Amino acid sequence: MKASFPNLGYDTYALKTFVEDLGGEVILAPPNSRRTVELGALHSPELICMPYKITLGNMLEAIELGADTLFMAAGARKCRFGYYHYLHERALKDLGKECRFIAVTQYSPFDFVFKVMPGIFGVSPFRVIRAVAKLLAKSRLTQEFRQQLNRKMALDFDGAEQAKPKALSVIERAHTLKEIQAARGEVRRIFALNGSEPAIRLGLVGEIYFMIEQFASQEIEKELGKMGAEVVFERSLYRHIRHLLSSDPAFVRSGRLARRYLQESPGGEAIRTVGEAVYFQQQGLDGIVHIFPFTCMPENIALEALQKLSEETGLPVLSLSFDEHTSRTGLLTRLEAFVDLVKRRKLGRRLHRN
Amino acid sequence: MVEGYIGIDVGSISTKGVVVDREFNVLASRYLRTQGNPIDSIRRLLAELGGQVDSGVRILGAGTTGSARRLAGVMIQADIVKNEIITHAVAASHFHPEVRTVIEIGGQDSKIIILRDAIPVDFAMNTVCAAGTGSFLDHQATRLGRPIEEFGALALKAKNRVNIAGRCTVFAESDMIHKAQLGMSTEDIVAGLCDAIVRNYMNTVAKGKEIHPLILFQGGVAANVGVKKAFELMLGHEVLVPEHFLVMGAVGAAIVASEETDGKGTKFAGFDVADTAFETRAFECDGCPNRCEVIETLREQQVIDRYGDRCGKWSKL
Repeated sequence: MKASFPNLGYDTYALKTFVEDLGGEVILAPPNSRRTVELGALHSPELICMPYKITLGNMLEAIELGADTLFMAAGARKCRFGYYHYLHERALKDLGKECRFIAVTQYSPFDFVFKVMPGIFGVSPFRVIRAVAKLLAKSRLTQEFRQQLNRKMALDFDGAEQAKPKALSVIERAHTLKEIQAARGEVRRIFALNGSEPAIRLGLVGEIYFMIEQFASQEIEKELGKMGAEVVFERSLYRHIRHLLSSDPAFVRSGRLARRYLQESPGGEAIRTVGEAVYFQQQGLDGIVHIFPFTCMPENIALEALQKLSEETGLPVLSLSFDEHTSRTGLLTRLEAFVDLVKRRKLGRRLHRN
Repeated sequence: MVEGYIGIDVGSISTKGVVVDREFNVLASRYLRTQGNPIDSIRRLLAELGGQVDSGVRILGAGTTGSARRLAGVMIQADIVKNEIITHAVAASHFHPEVRTVIEIGGQDSKIIILRDAIPVDFAMNTVCAAGTGSFLDHQATRLGRPIEEFGALALKAKNRVNIAGRCTVFAESDMIHKAQLGMSTEDIVAGLCDAIVRNYMNTVAKGKEIHPLILFQGGVAANVGVKKAFELMLGHEVLVPEHFLVMGAVGAAIVASEETDGKGTKFAGFDVADTAFETRAFECDGCPNRCEVIETLREQQVIDRYGDRCGKWSKL
């Protein structure tokens, strides 16, 4: 089996290790590029969201490299994303691409461990559990990496650019639980943060694919870091898996905090988006950046709730929707203006107090 | 000799520049058409500004803003290159510290800035659509054979404001033609057009924003008294068009230049940049499948600025 799956930001390598642990050979799709999006968009419905287009592009590029088995997350509990695998499979078939397509339902961990994975790879449930434990450890490592990277970029952008490839190769090389544990310390040493605080800190919230795969948002964390703003986030693959295993306290907290602005879930992860924004506000962050795919219904509803939050608390909120036509110039102008605004606001508040 | 600052705002349609003194009083100001050639318009602007102040001003700092701010910044060696949201906000709160809303409509974009205690706290810009901006008004004035300068006054003479579909310029235009074919007066139709522009602005750019007085109206379209009137009717508040409404972005750029330099000395290249040859060209990098469009600016055949690449291999000179 030459298995492949859509890229998922820094967590691509965590997923690769997972499949290899179960005995699969992995062919990674090439890193996301303009070609990926163009290829995906060419064979997609016009108004479908960007996660669909990029993941389809990933699959097509992986097949070019010889992948014969494709994995795609499924589970229609959240939003139309749950149905994408049907469309992917149809699109690939229409294009005459021969491959085995495996949709992995996210919302029944029991079946995942005892039926689905043992069925596909012919391994014992025990081995699946061990692989999941390692996936958790490795995705926690990438989460910590991203947190440190974001802070480092805000403090010393060039230093962060130099440290990043070093830290990533440490992460890539860590295979056993012991190595992963050692890599955590190694990554901390590479970034060498000394506890100093960046000028401003912004909370990033939004649709989960955008929260994890930075390519979709045109590397928004990097752009904000370059402008001296540290990006703080809650959502990650690690948190998502914890949530699927019903062991994510942040999920419960988000639901509680969101209630003031959004009582019912409109689908997707809107509740989490709003709950995390409220949490960041309570933590004293300087502003919220909200990212989501163009035509995403749940996040558009979250946007209204975030505006209410902004009105009530005075917290600056910038909502940005993306598709493959999003102009980079326009995006950078807005980010720059937002960072300036947040800085001036913080400075002004200090002046008022003194 | 007077000491002061220079600010330049290069937009899609017009190029604006000011020279201000240390208290930010405007000493010289120019407004030119960009005509699709910002390098040329920046050169002309510098020549004319230089002529107006006649070497009687020592420049302590230079700032640029607008969609060609980067190019302008490289050309004049500005001390600071700032986005147009902040420059408009800064200039507005300088002249009118009590301002709480800035409406800015230019040639191809429009924005709203919300201020509290003279600090910008929120903003929005039009995203995908240019309906209701200066270019469209320009186009309609030409189509009706009226000079753009008189277009607004025409709207004030309306007796019955006609309803024009304002969601999209293409539909707005066909609706205007339709109403004209029904025999309605040009005055009424133009008034309807002003209403449609304001409605479009309120439903897209200003959506969800709390608009409180004092409201300033800046940018090229603020010259149109018809649109100003339509805003007042819609908002139920007086809308103030500041004295330097055309060059507020440029004034803001000069103010942020003063904040930036703060006695440190300026990098400003001088007004004689007008005589230097500049060129901009673009190429597609084939280093990876991203195929970034890299843009470079040359001064006298020498590359002085490069940007547009995601990875940074070209932008590091």
